[in-house]
Amino acid sequence: MSAVANPADPALGERGTGTGSGDGPAPSKWSTKRKLLVLLGVYIVGLIVIVALTGAHGTRNEAFKPQNEFKLETWVNLGVFSINKAVMYLVIAATLTCASMIYIARRMQDRPNRVQTAVEMLYQLMRDNIAGGNMSEKMLARWFPFIGTLFLFILFSNLIGYIPLPTSTDRAVDIAGFHLPAFSLYAATANLSIPLVLALVVFVSYTVEGVRAKGPIGYLKGLIPGGVTGAMAGAIFVLELISNFMRLMSLSIRLFANILAGHLIILFMAGALAVILGVAWLAWLTLPLGVLLFAFEVGLVAALQAFIFATLTAIYLGGAVADNH
Amino acid sequence: MHLALITVFAVTEEIAKAGKSIGLGVGGGLGAVGAGVGIGIIFGKVIEAITRQPEMRDEITQIQWLGFALTEACFFYGLVAGLLAAFIV
Repeated sequence: MSAVANPADPALGERGTGTGSGDGPAPSKWSTKRKLLVLLGVYIVGLIVIVALTGAHGTRNEAFKPQNEFKLETWVNLGVFSINKAVMYLVIAATLTCASMIYIARRMQDRPNRVQTAVEMLYQLMRDNIAGGNMSEKMLARWFPFIGTLFLFILFSNLIGYIPLPTSTDRAVDIAGFHLPAFSLYAATANLSIPLVLALVVFVSYTVEGVRAKGPIGYLKGLIPGGVTGAMAGAIFVLELISNFMRLMSLSIRLFANILAGHLIILFMAGALAVILGVAWLAWLTLPLGVLLFAFEVGLVAALQAFIFATLTAIYLGGAVADNH
Repeated sequence: MHLALITVFAVTEEIAKAGKSIGLGVGGGLGAVGAGVGIGIIFGKVIEAITRQPEMRDEITQIQWLGFALTEACFFYGLVAGLLAAFIV
């Protein structure tokens, strides 16, 4: 987090040396419980030391605005196609998706190494669980590449969003004499435009697929659930049509809000709260929570959101061509 | 007269600030309540289902994560609305 400015720095440095001295001399025969107790002791002692050194009260910092972390600075001005850090993240994610998968597919072996086994498991998950369970064989053959790519692209986008990269060009830091832009966390999917475009592509694909399978009239009729007749059918039809467009919103906002809220919470726990309030010990207090949340976001949310986006795409595509439910 | 007008403006600004804070609190807080109840129900039911039919564990787990993510998203709808109210409107 580039946001961690002067007030929080002593806290972070303190923790680094504190846990080091707690773990370092500990012999290996120490039980887990003892290690945890030592860690807790270091945590509490550190908290007391910081409060003693910097005082319990601070002055509010009005200069730092957390929303600026998500502001996009134009780097290359090309009108509508201007390049900023979101574009950079998009390009990195797309390149990683294509390059890693093509590289692994090129050097497939009969006796797979660990990476190949992992990718094969991922492939099986995409084919059998995400796509296969929700659409017919014929649809699967046509749409699996799309759904698989969508899954991998969102996964890579989310994951590289948790690596601090020097992208905040409005601030600078000096590291070993180099003048670098400040490091910050950002993800292409933490900007509403990108999930919205993905959702639009999905919306257009399943509508086109449905119209091609049933014809325009048949597709609209297919929105009405089977067994509903008479005046009721009209009302249900309007509701279903609206809910069809609401999918666009829910699909995009789900991904966007999950990643944005994750980044915001990590930002606040890793020091922004202490910076805003100007209280150094708060950074020490919230840092373990920040680390836990970071692990939660990387380990579960990033993959889960990609999974859910791809699964819902498969469900919508399968539902568009299926006979009346 | 002028002083009174300035006071009125200051008070309205304070009220607007209070309203924004309430918006953020209600959006985030009530969203968390709803999603918390929902996620609790999902995991409770999953435990029930798996104890009844342990052989269907894999299938149930997959549906569980789908339901978890869909419910969790509802919290973020509330939070985003709250953030909109606090920082943008």
